[in-house]
Amino acid sequence: MSDVYLDSSAIGYRLRAQRLMVAVVLVFLVFIGRLFQLQVIEGDSLKRSSEENFIRTAVLPADRGAIYDRDLNRLAGNKPSFEVFVTPAAVKKPEALLAGLRDVLDLDALDVDRLREKLIEQRGVWRYQPVRVQRDVDRARVARVEALRAQFDGLTIQVKQQREYPQGETGAHLLGYLGRPPVDAPAEKGVRRPDDLLVGRFGLEQKHEDVLAGRHGFERFVVNARGGRSSDQRALGAVDDIVREAPVAGNDLVLTIDADVQALLLEALANYESGAAVLLDPRDGSIIGMVSKPSYDPNLWSGRLPAEVKQAIDDNPYKPMIDKSVRSFFPGSVYKVVTALAGLEEALITADEEVDSPGAYTFGNRVFHCHKLSGHGEIDLSEAMAASADVYFYKLGERLGIDKLATYALRFGFGRKTGLLINGESAGLVPTRAFHDENTPGGYQFGLALSTAIGQGDARTSPLQMAIAYAALANGGQVFAPRVLDRIQTSDGKTVARYAPQVVGRLGASAEHLADIVKGLERAVSDTEIGTATLGGIEGVRIAGKTGTAQVRDIDRARYAGEKVKDFRERDHAWFAAFAPIDDPKLVVVVFLEHGGTGGKDAAPVARRILEAYQARIEPIFPVASTGASTPRTSAGGTE
Amino acid sequence: MNRNSAASLARMDWSLLLAVVLIGLVGVYNLQSTSISTGSNIHLKQFYWLSFGTVMMVIAASVDYRHLDRFSPFFYALAVILLALVLGIGKEVNGSRRWFDFGPVSLQPAEVAKLSIIAALASWFNRVPRPAGYTLRDLVPVAALLGVPMFLILQEPDLGHTLMVLFIGLSMLAYEKFDRRSLMILVLTAVVMVPVGWSFILRDYQKDRILTLLDADVDRLGSGWHALQARVAVGSGGLLGKGHGLGTQVAGGFLPENHTDFVFANLAEEHGLIGCAFLLGLYMWLIVGALRVAGQARDKFGGHVAVGVAALIFWQVFMNVGMVLSLIPVTGVTLPLMSYGGSSILTVMVAIGLLVNISMRRTVF
Repeated sequence: MSDVYLDSSAIGYRLRAQRLMVAVVLVFLVFIGRLFQLQVIEGDSLKRSSEENFIRTAVLPADRGAIYDRDLNRLAGNKPSFEVFVTPAAVKKPEALLAGLRDVLDLDALDVDRLREKLIEQRGVWRYQPVRVQRDVDRARVARVEALRAQFDGLTIQVKQQREYPQGETGAHLLGYLGRPPVDAPAEKGVRRPDDLLVGRFGLEQKHEDVLAGRHGFERFVVNARGGRSSDQRALGAVDDIVREAPVAGNDLVLTIDADVQALLLEALANYESGAAVLLDPRDGSIIGMVSKPSYDPNLWSGRLPAEVKQAIDDNPYKPMIDKSVRSFFPGSVYKVVTALAGLEEALITADEEVDSPGAYTFGNRVFHCHKLSGHGEIDLSEAMAASADVYFYKLGERLGIDKLATYALRFGFGRKTGLLINGESAGLVPTRAFHDENTPGGYQFGLALSTAIGQGDARTSPLQMAIAYAALANGGQVFAPRVLDRIQTSDGKTVARYAPQVVGRLGASAEHLADIVKGLERAVSDTEIGTATLGGIEGVRIAGKTGTAQVRDIDRARYAGEKVKDFRERDHAWFAAFAPIDDPKLVVVVFLEHGGTGGKDAAPVARRILEAYQARIEPIFPVASTGASTPRTSAGGTE
Repeated sequence: MNRNSAASLARMDWSLLLAVVLIGLVGVYNLQSTSISTGSNIHLKQFYWLSFGTVMMVIAASVDYRHLDRFSPFFYALAVILLALVLGIGKEVNGSRRWFDFGPVSLQPAEVAKLSIIAALASWFNRVPRPAGYTLRDLVPVAALLGVPMFLILQEPDLGHTLMVLFIGLSMLAYEKFDRRSLMILVLTAVVMVPVGWSFILRDYQKDRILTLLDADVDRLGSGWHALQARVAVGSGGLLGKGHGLGTQVAGGFLPENHTDFVFANLAEEHGLIGCAFLLGLYMWLIVGALRVAGQARDKFGGHVAVGVAALIFWQVFMNVGMVLSLIPVTGVTLPLMSYGGSSILTVMVAIGLLVNISMRRTVF
């Protein structure tokens, strides 16, 4: 055959074939080298990449602990809430679906546009990620969304735990509410939490976040490229980590609060826009009820807060989001118990000593007025307290000086936080000489001691502090830390921790002197001739109480010029602090009406209504069954 | 005749057949793993194709290859006609027409055309001998023989197969002796053609693939996605692999085309460096064996066909494995005998049949 190789050329071909073989072997060596690089040198990091690809960690949210009142009524708990999601990749008719959702969920144009953008413009694997349309959808709407689901692909409804406050507004400030974690909160490393986690942002929900939150669990699972849970979970074997950790539910709080008392406190404050009321057990410092007005609905704050509700609250001049029970205000005459006790203890006065107490007192070049222009004449301590005679206390303040007054104010627990430590609790202010030297223009002047002696000047106290102080008068001198948390228990009712009453200070006063003060306080309520607090009295019940009307500006001139103070901000604060029954004190009540009028006419009747309602609806505390608890006592015409 | 056949069988290169059988079985085993996650039974189909391919291989090995020399113009013309037809009546998939759809089976003419082109080139070199070396002018017909099918395949468009035809042609040229000056001009022209080809021949998505090779992390969900996921699959396999059927890249759907273009990534993920080295060793054995057959061929035509078959397998492995290992851009070239696909299997098996054919009829020195 002609095409058979000639020997000489065959050698050339064989040589070139060998060269090609060498080239092939070299290329394969390069491949092996590259495989070594990828699989051995970069193997670990690429292995992690593949795990990131297919293993997702889902947080299993822990159930938040509930909050109960002292009778185990639920004040805060969880209820199922529905969220509507849409998965872009599954949607076939986006416009029709958007129209349906708009009708059912009342979406506004902005929501619809945002959703349309996600439905249409989302690319790649993100199309498989469900997009939340709305949270906290009520049951009626869920039913209509279900109907939409039958028509359109891509809709899902998820059930989540939603915080619920069955008592609504009544517990608002004390309980608090939930919200997004503060943005500036440092992210704790290694702590898993759901993307849409809500934490306590106010009240006890915030203070006891650690107890209530529990520990979130997690679950790892294999996903496919669409981000969905893969049907094949065997690849989990590739992770030698823990695959699932069950969530641990938060513990429950049992409070000393009584839910019904909360309601009756708000009822009693019904006629006033702004203020606070505290009901306290003087025997152990337990708070039975504590409210602040205006209130708000924590259910809305912890859920989907409608913009108009938020706006209304922001615009409310009475500032619903401030807890007035722990903020401090000028106390006015309720503070006079400090001056009285200081005078007795320092032996600068005796209970029987009569002091001339005219309508005005000139000290230096300044005239200090009494609220009663005609004055009170020669009066002793109990009369001075009952009538709230200002000049008596000016004179006493002059003898004491501001620093001695401060010493006793501090013993009552004023000037420092009570220890409740919620809602930006204020320490209040007990003015001293040093304080004035530092803060008052022109420095300390002796006249400031006189103002402070009647609770004017710069003294500031919170309603809660006032309750603690009057509780000390009632219980023989023990200053308690307010007790609101009785115990912590697990969700199945096992007690984890109990909180005993805590005495944080003592008045250190003699029983005699305390009795002298109580005598004055009783007379303020019961002495129909001179008592300023007679509207706070209940027939047949021995009540010790003191009114306060704190001037928030230099009203002397305005008031005596007969001007009506129209502006809310310029009206006086009204206070009333009392305890009952005197023989065996079981309740301390403090009513504070911000710019709410006078202590005698406004605050005292509120307190009386509170005590009457407590007696009638909660627990009989008075030795004499007050049959006509709801009939108001006819006014004895007492004035302040 | 009987004696002659016995002698031929004795001369047959059994090691080539062993390599083919082993690669085929590794391929079925590997596809069985991807079947687990996809719930299909493509590994069984692959096995049937391999069986059918074995029959074709035996036929290709039995009929004396020198008849192919005579019929090569006919096969070449048939290939060109099919390549032209597929542009008109082929099934459109993802914007390209590469397949004839015959219901249950489909045929990729570019696969089959490679064999016709190898035969045509071998035949030409056989008929136009230049013992002193080929000059450029001599090669004009070669350029035409390669250019026409390349042009048609590029129209589908199918860059992978276009390049395959070019590389096979160049490899067969490399087996020949060249006029020194012509060789230099050829190399220079090739260098000049790179930027020209970039501007006028490559389509945008093809350029993207080349660019993303250089920086695959630019767009994780775009064109770099395939390359990145393949690299993750390979790398996460480590030395020994994750185990058969335990590859998460395939099961999770992260690795695209895992039963065709990216089968090697699946093997690498599940069987690691050891499994890859074993498979690459088999391929190397097969290709070096094919070149050995070429060197021992009794005639020029046989030698060139053997080189063409070696090139066919080598360049397919090169482009496919190179792509999976992110060494070269992503092109849709399958891995011979490993990737699922009848056309590819039949082409390779027939090519191996020709190789056996040539080895059986070799000159004994």
